[in-house]
Amino acid sequence: MKNIASRNIIALSTTALALPGIALADAPPTQSTISYKLSNYQEDDLSRSEAPLSDLERYDIDVHQFQLVSALGRNMSLHVDANYESLSGASPWFTSRGLDGEPIVNLSGASGISDRRTELSVGSRYYLENGSFGGNIGYSEEDDYRAVYFGFNTERHYNNDLTTVSAGLSHSSDKVFPTDAALFNRVEEEDKQSTSVFASVSQIINQVSSFQSALSFTEQSGFLSDPYKLRDIRPDDKTQIAWSNSYRRFFVSANAAFHVNYRYYHDDFGISSHTSDVSWHQNLGRTFQLVPQLRYYSQSAADFFTNVDDFLSPISEYQSSDYRLSAFGAVSGGISVIADMGSWKATLTAERYLANDKYSAYEVSQPSTALVKYNRISLGIDFRF
Amino acid sequence: MRAFRTTLLLAICSLMLFSCADVRAWERGYLAREEMAWAPDALESSLNDHIFFSKEASSGGNSAAGGGCGCN
Repeated sequence: MKNIASRNIIALSTTALALPGIALADAPPTQSTISYKLSNYQEDDLSRSEAPLSDLERYDIDVHQFQLVSALGRNMSLHVDANYESLSGASPWFTSRGLDGEPIVNLSGASGISDRRTELSVGSRYYLENGSFGGNIGYSEEDDYRAVYFGFNTERHYNNDLTTVSAGLSHSSDKVFPTDAALFNRVEEEDKQSTSVFASVSQIINQVSSFQSALSFTEQSGFLSDPYKLRDIRPDDKTQIAWSNSYRRFFVSANAAFHVNYRYYHDDFGISSHTSDVSWHQNLGRTFQLVPQLRYYSQSAADFFTNVDDFLSPISEYQSSDYRLSAFGAVSGGISVIADMGSWKATLTAERYLANDKYSAYEVSQPSTALVKYNRISLGIDFRF
Repeated sequence: MRAFRTTLLLAICSLMLFSCADVRAWERGYLAREEMAWAPDALESSLNDHIFFSKEASSGGNSAAGGGCGCN
């Protein structure tokens, strides 16, 4: 009897320490982890029919991500994130009508655009017997954009730790100061504020499956237009709501985990969207894991989206030809290969993303030009000590 | 149609919540596996969020937003 009780206590303690997402009793990480990921993001060139008058080359971005997660005393953890991006290429400047009457796009700056983005975020978490709370502050800077942000969040376990309730708040104060403002009659400097709150409930369903539902509200105010577009006039406030649902199930016989996520989104620019993705995390022996994943996304158009800029309309009238405000759908697929060798873990990921108005689940009254297609490849290394 | 879809989703969610088994701590070994986490690879999730935030109109969901960017 004593042996059985001891085994249970050992099993319980081991499980409690190992639970990454659904903790029994919260505790700081038992090991420190340093992670680094290098990614290359490459957008496909536009076709000559989409942009008859400009260069066709779009963004090529290298991303370096660094993360440190470590215990800080008995009840706290430290989280440090640093990112560095360097990009070159061009983005849509304005749209017009081609000789055949169809919309065409003109890219900005051709091969002249290059920018860097550096971001640093530091956070800490305090662990209680039945929950935890934490916060972070961050700073992000580009040649023409700066953001300072902070956030708080807390979680608490109920119902014999079968249910976890989380909530959080974040605020970002951003400043945009476009390059060549005088030359191109762009705004000199503008501000933007974003405040976001979220709440979520996670529930263990049985020994192999769990479910999470989350709701977030974001309020943006200030300069929400794109200063690099020739004519882009948007409202100066936006309210966003997103409802996310996630399900996880482990298949013991297959030694694999199945993930499915769904999100509904709506904002008062008039955009609604559905996002769903699935992934299968197949263990291969003790060392390797293969993770194929698929994602589908579709959004409706903003109320003021136009696929051909109207330069004769008054500047008090909202309008934007930004393809990101058009109705479109996107499918993407990728695969990750993970090698876990104890202290070291390496992850190689390749992904292909295709956006097209024909994939849209919503009505497309004005098909946009310049929808994005891209390839992304990443190599990540984790070291635990 | 939208009301029907919302009601259906809420019904499914409620059903899942009310049909939960009492899973003891020592029975949570599979749930504790790394691949069962909501976001098994934090850097991958962060990168994807950043890309989709830059190329699509939607954002948010299961966390509060971080800092913005001048992504065009």
